[in-house]
Amino acid sequence: MMKVKDGDLDKLGLLFERYNRPLYSFFYKKTFHTDVSEDLVQSVFERMLKYRSTYSGSGAFTTWMFSIARNAHIDHYRQNKKHNEKEELDEDRMGGASPEFGEMDERTKRKKILEQALDQLDEDKKEVVILSRYEGLKYAEIAEIQGVTESAVKVRFFRAMKDLKNIVHTLSEEYSDE
Amino acid sequence: MNEKYEELIADYLNGELDEQEKARVEALIAGGEIDMIDFKAMEQLHSELEMVSTPEPSAEMSNRFYAMLEEEKASAKPKFNISEKFNELFAALTMPRLAYAFVLLIVGGFIGAQLGSNDSQINELTNQMQDMREMMIVSMLEGASTTDRLRAVNISAELPIADEKAVRALLFTLNNDESVNVRVQSIETLKKWGEDETVREGLVSAIGAQNSDVVIIALADAMVEMGLQNSKSEFENLIQERNLNINVKEKLESTIASL
Repeated sequence: MMKVKDGDLDKLGLLFERYNRPLYSFFYKKTFHTDVSEDLVQSVFERMLKYRSTYSGSGAFTTWMFSIARNAHIDHYRQNKKHNEKEELDEDRMGGASPEFGEMDERTKRKKILEQALDQLDEDKKEVVILSRYEGLKYAEIAEIQGVTESAVKVRFFRAMKDLKNIVHTLSEEYSDE
Repeated sequence: MNEKYEELIADYLNGELDEQEKARVEALIAGGEIDMIDFKAMEQLHSELEMVSTPEPSAEMSNRFYAMLEEEKASAKPKFNISEKFNELFAALTMPRLAYAFVLLIVGGFIGAQLGSNDSQINELTNQMQDMREMMIVSMLEGASTTDRLRAVNISAELPIADEKAVRALLFTLNNDESVNVRVQSIETLKKWGEDETVREGLVSAIGAQNSDVVIIALADAMVEMGLQNSKSEFENLIQERNLNINVKEKLESTIASL
């Protein structure tokens, strides 16, 4: 990124090749929406170019990148709220276009319940789970991204897991009653 | 009851504890201070989260990024004077773009006029349109402007099947184009035609011809995605013969391991 900052813009291509999938995965698990996730990845790289002069190189690049990603998602959420637009969900989001729940095998059922449970978490808690569980970030790095203490992130993670456990339990009961 | 140890359990689940601290967690479980059933349920749930997967992004995401990067690079160049700008604008409107637009207009109009006639005529016209499109792609790939060449690669991605001429032109572009972005986009497009033997062989043999880290990494990803095991020796040669950037070297080693 320091080279991009110094004017070697082609190096942003290297960063794109390396990080487009982790970023896409981050947004997809936040939104469960493919088109929105792709738009947000584009937005992150546009912001990297726009604000490249602010990159200091003092911390990890991924921390800076996910901070931008977090802001891009918040802006997107605010914009949608402002325009009172309800996002259209992907057809296959949460298995919408897939077979009925009763026809699924056990693993697919469990996967569906886990996706729905993750989607129902509070935004900050969901973000901690995504960054730690799927993107492999340390709590100290997540603390920097969310602007809170490391201790607060750990508590958030524990409570997110507890909430997830309860939501999974409730959803499993609802589906078994169907 | 486990709330008292929420930070410790969080650290345990994220693998941030050393052996001594892990032993402390086990002791707390054994002593009943951490509820074992709750703890195990949480640990299992943490493991099961692996099941939540992410689909592959579309090629359009990559296209949009490289188009944006090209625009940014163009705007970052020093400004010309007015007469140079005028000449540049005029040059941009010349041969390939005008010809391509003209051909599409004529063929589109012709197809429109023929609608309602029989299907074979429409099919013939569609084939003719594809031929013309391929001809324009080849012509644009030879153009002087990076943006035009990038556009040509993007247009070729829309071809429904691998055409020999288009494949040869894209492989030539991959091995010779001066722009890294055009070369990376060529890989993305060629990947779509991965069933074609010429494409597979061409991509593998292009590895040794690359000097750009970005292109080498894009090829490495493509090889893994397409499962081209015969590319391993090409990557091994690169590692042995070149003084590669440490990140690129690590990437190639993991690619070889994946293959």
